[in-house]
Amino acid sequence: MFIVAALVLLAVVGLWVRALYRPPPDHDETTQRRIGRRWIIGGGIIVPGISIVILLAFGIPLGHRMLPLPVPGEAPLKIEVTALQWRWDIRYPDHGIVSTNRLVIPAGRTIDFHVGSADVIHSFWIPRLGGKIDAIPGRINVLRLRADQPGQYRGQCAEFCGAGHAHMVLAVEALDAAAFDTWVEKQTP
Amino acid sequence: MLAPSHPLQLALGLIVWSVWFVALYGGLSIGCALAPPDADLGARTWLNGLLAALTAMTAAWLVWQLRRCWRAARSRTDDAPNRRFITILSAGIYAVAAVSTLVIGIPVLGLPPCP
Amino acid sequence: MNEPASPGRDRLDAELERIWGNPRGWRALSVVNHSVLGLRFMGTALVFFLIGGILAMLMRTQLAMPDQRLLDAEFYNQAFTMHGTVMMFLFAVPMLEGLAVYLIPKMIGARDLVFPRLSAFGYWCYLFGGLILISSLFLGLAPNTGWFMYTPLSSTVHTPGSNSDFWLLGVTFIEISAVSTAIELVVSILRSRTAGMSLDRMPLFAWYILGMSLMIVAGFPPLILGSILLELERAAGLPFFDVARGGDPVLWQHLFWLFGHPEVYIIFLPAAGIVSTLIPVFAQRPIVGYRWVVLSIITTGFLSFSLWVHHMFTIGIPHLAQAFFSAASMLVAIPTAIQVFAWLATLWTGKPVLRLPMLWLIGFLVVFVAGGLTGVMLALVPFNWQVHDTHFVVAHMHYVLVGGMFFPLVAGLYYWLPHVSGRMPSEQLGRWGFWLTFIGFNLTFLIMHWTGLLGMPRRVYTYEAGLGWDLPNLVSSIGGFVMAIGIATVLLDIALHFRFGRVALRNPWHADSLEWATGTPPRAYNFASQPDCTTRHPLWEHPDLPDGIAEGKHWLANAGHGRRETLGTDPVSGSVREIMRLPGNSWLPLVIALGLAVMFIALLARSYPIAALAALASVALMLRWSWVNGLHPALYDESGAFPAGALPLHPHTFDGPGLWGMGVTLLANASLFLSLLFGWFYLWTVAPLWQAPATSPLPATTLLIAALPLTAATLWIRRIVTRLRNGTAAHLQVQLWGIAVLGVAYIAVLVQVLIAAPLSPTRTAHDAVIAVFLGYLLLHAALACVLAALQALRVRRGYVGHHAPYETVIVEKWWSYTLLTFWLTYGCVVLFPAGWGGS
Ligand code: HEM
Ligand SMILES: [Cu+2]
Ligand SMILES: [Cu+2]
Repeated sequence: MFIVAALVLLAVVGLWVRALYRPPPDHDETTQRRIGRRWIIGGGIIVPGISIVILLAFGIPLGHRMLPLPVPGEAPLKIEVTALQWRWDIRYPDHGIVSTNRLVIPAGRTIDFHVGSADVIHSFWIPRLGGKIDAIPGRINVLRLRADQPGQYRGQCAEFCGAGHAHMVLAVEALDAAAFDTWVEKQTP
Repeated sequence: MLAPSHPLQLALGLIVWSVWFVALYGGLSIGCALAPPDADLGARTWLNGLLAALTAMTAAWLVWQLRRCWRAARSRTDDAPNRRFITILSAGIYAVAAVSTLVIGIPVLGLPPCP
Repeated sequence: MNEPASPGRDRLDAELERIWGNPRGWRALSVVNHSVLGLRFMGTALVFFLIGGILAMLMRTQLAMPDQRLLDAEFYNQAFTMHGTVMMFLFAVPMLEGLAVYLIPKMIGARDLVFPRLSAFGYWCYLFGGLILISSLFLGLAPNTGWFMYTPLSSTVHTPGSNSDFWLLGVTFIEISAVSTAIELVVSILRSRTAGMSLDRMPLFAWYILGMSLMIVAGFPPLILGSILLELERAAGLPFFDVARGGDPVLWQHLFWLFGHPEVYIIFLPAAGIVSTLIPVFAQRPIVGYRWVVLSIITTGFLSFSLWVHHMFTIGIPHLAQAFFSAASMLVAIPTAIQVFAWLATLWTGKPVLRLPMLWLIGFLVVFVAGGLTGVMLALVPFNWQVHDTHFVVAHMHYVLVGGMFFPLVAGLYYWLPHVSGRMPSEQLGRWGFWLTFIGFNLTFLIMHWTGLLGMPRRVYTYEAGLGWDLPNLVSSIGGFVMAIGIATVLLDIALHFRFGRVALRNPWHADSLEWATGTPPRAYNFASQPDCTTRHPLWEHPDLPDGIAEGKHWLANAGHGRRETLGTDPVSGSVREIMRLPGNSWLPLVIALGLAVMFIALLARSYPIAALAALASVALMLRWSWVNGLHPALYDESGAFPAGALPLHPHTFDGPGLWGMGVTLLANASLFLSLLFGWFYLWTVAPLWQAPATSPLPATTLLIAALPLTAATLWIRRIVTRLRNGTAAHLQVQLWGIAVLGVAYIAVLVQVLIAAPLSPTRTAHDAVIAVFLGYLLLHAALACVLAALQALRVRRGYVGHHAPYETVIVEKWWSYTLLTFWLTYGCVVLFPAGWGGS
């Protein structure tokens, strides 16, 4: 995407610069009109039109697949996240575990985060795992994520939420399936 | 009916388009709030059907108006230049409105309405 | 400059100068002339730009290195909020409106804007609103919740100080200025173009400004409503955005972005207008695709109102709805692409010369196209979920705003400098300024895309070391300072040119449009006689036009009556319809703006009695303002040296500028009302804890009784207008008094409803919205009564009657609007819940 964008930018700027330094053309009025119309329809409508269709055809289904729709097979793990000034409260409803500012997840398994807020609007985001979702008072939004590799990740609030916004960080640890089960056992008395 | 060279034609196509857009987004929101269709049905729900029909009707009306302005622009070449200017421009506005309606409306055919 | 003198010409100039001339000294505060006010707008906007820039430099210094302790979180939050607010509301919009105020009358061959006092009023509101807002920085109480002020963060619970109030009240004050200036520009462009300037001969810049102004008229009211609601919630506890009591914070986001996205195009359109004006001049040929460009302007104006949700892709709305907005956001790229290629084609088929303004236009192209491309990426929903609210977005928005507004603006400033000063800018220093700004800008913001992709959220006052964000931030900060030096160079260049610039020849860039047919610098009246316009490029086809204008060979070269006059023409064909008499200098705009300033400060201080007094005084003065109109002797003079049987003066017509002004005002008003309706239905369907009582708290029958006098009065005044059109005006005064009395009866019933209805506006959002509806109806009714009574008085004075029906037609429109909103409210607030079944 970035390469294509850079090429488009170069092409447009290149054309402009060429138009500026070209030896002045010597066309009659009708030829000029024809050239003008060709530029406008070609560059202004056809090229961007096609690009848009391609982007949408590719982007909308992609976005659709990221939605938390029902899936066949193993049900996604449900984790509840409550954002508040300025910390993250995490709850594993299936296991009765709670923690603050620390999130442990199984790698390789799909997880549905049910995100809510106890005061102002925040946004739940673990950049290396995927998109973000806002935590809005009065609603629960669901975000589906999956960590393919075990490891340490960093989550951070992405919607400005007041004085502590910059420090509203969430430590995320993805464990492989076995390690996650041991962790769960250790947490549940 | 508004004459093809009436200055209001410069906005009418896109005003109708705006109303359609509000109806599309509003209809979807109200539909999902009142009687959300089952998510398993995918895009084959009554709500999608309704929105698609609305889109098709709006687009058809816009295309019809486009044809009207376009014909007037081609036939009445003896109009005052500023009238012809409006007629041609209005045809363009209707074309834009029709295309926008179709492009924005297409997702109705493929996506489930509420999730 | 060096024009040949002739005795007739000198006498005409002297006469016009006596009528139009601007006083000096402290009386200059009463000036209403558009050239003066346009320059004041721009000068003031420049000062605010510097303040916003200093805040930006403070932020960049803080972010240069990780874990800095230069600014604390509180000040940083105030700084970015104020930077964004100042740049958007105090710099970009007023600067461009100022440019339009200065240029539009000259480009369309008019002598002034059609509501000169409104220009002055707009300026003073802007100045005082800006001062109130900036003062908060010095009080340490600046708004600190971001330029979009999301609730509940900005509500009383989480921001107990008056920080948010400064924003809500200050910005609303400034928006009054933006909207009133926009109304004036619309009417001027439509109704006061010079003889023969039909729509298809209008300069493209005027099309752009028409588009921008209509977008302001439709786009600002949602935010004005939002601000009123939020301020009501903060000051009086009405819970529009409080979930627990049936409100919803997301409603604020809708209202804000309903304004906020069009705002971006409001800023871009006039800047693109500058580009479309300059490119043909420097390519020495007419623009390619005039009609395509006009089509793009209209399309942009509408499409940009359907994108607002793309700022809210992460709040969890249905994916299908996101797809609509995603598609619409991408579509809007097409009209922009059309313009870019129309400019390219113009250069391609022309003989371009590379002068200093052209350099800035190339800079514009590079930066803006890059910003547009990242914009298309952001419209892609999955990508948006990733980079939303990161520094990627900060980079994108600066590419669009600086590229799409600042670069063309500087190009335009250089281009029109000779018009203001009569001197040419230097090419040397100017080039240094350009390259420093351009390189500094890209250094700052290009790498910031990368910072965002690395995961740095926006609006953080500091960050930890070791996340990979250190180096890119340092580069950005260095680039920021390079850019600041560049901008300082540009300003220095402009300042020096006033003293050292070469004296400009007439029409120094060999332009085609009428603003260069005035002298440089121009006289207060622009044109000694208003030219006939027979082509899209008057100065290219008639290079000697300026001489004819100065010698009084065209329209209105006659000033014996001692009044300010400009032509009123048909909006489509540009054929001359009437002569507009314009009011002269006045202190009222300044005094009323001061009154409003007192009101806003009193609201800030929560001393409501003072606020109410100030508001009443301002309204009284506005009525006084409206008194000097039409046939008032200050404007009208029967013995005037006007040839009999020629053009009518506008008070004698049914379709003067005032009617158009009222029409556009009602458009803005309708946008506000529709936003309120939207809020009502939105809360009804979406608010998580919406509580509606089983039966409406409003008594349906009593309201119907209220409707009787209102409907009768409106029908009555419509009948009066019909009869005026037929030339009869018997008992006009009595009838107008009767209408006012009916209006009072309506108000009485409405007040009765308000008192008796079991409303508890502080307990549920449902009742709060209803209270706002009732307040809206009451205000409109009160104004309608006052206007009718005032008409009656004017009939008695002989200012209004069958010979001068101009004002009654305007008042009738207000009554009709009042009636319409009453029935809409009735349908939506009383009938709709009943039909819903009270569920
Ligand atoms: C034409 C001029 C400019 C305009 C219209 C503009 C506009 C804006 C806006 C609207 C914001 C968003 C504020 C918010 O998130 O609440 C912003 C943020 C920011 N701008 Fe500018 N800006 C301009 C010039 C600059 C310059 C010259 C710099 C620095 C060299 C700069 C640096 C920043 C920074 C650092 C932020 C803060 C980001 C954050 O903390 O989230 N801006 N600007
Ligand atoms: Cu936050
Ligand atoms: Cu936007």
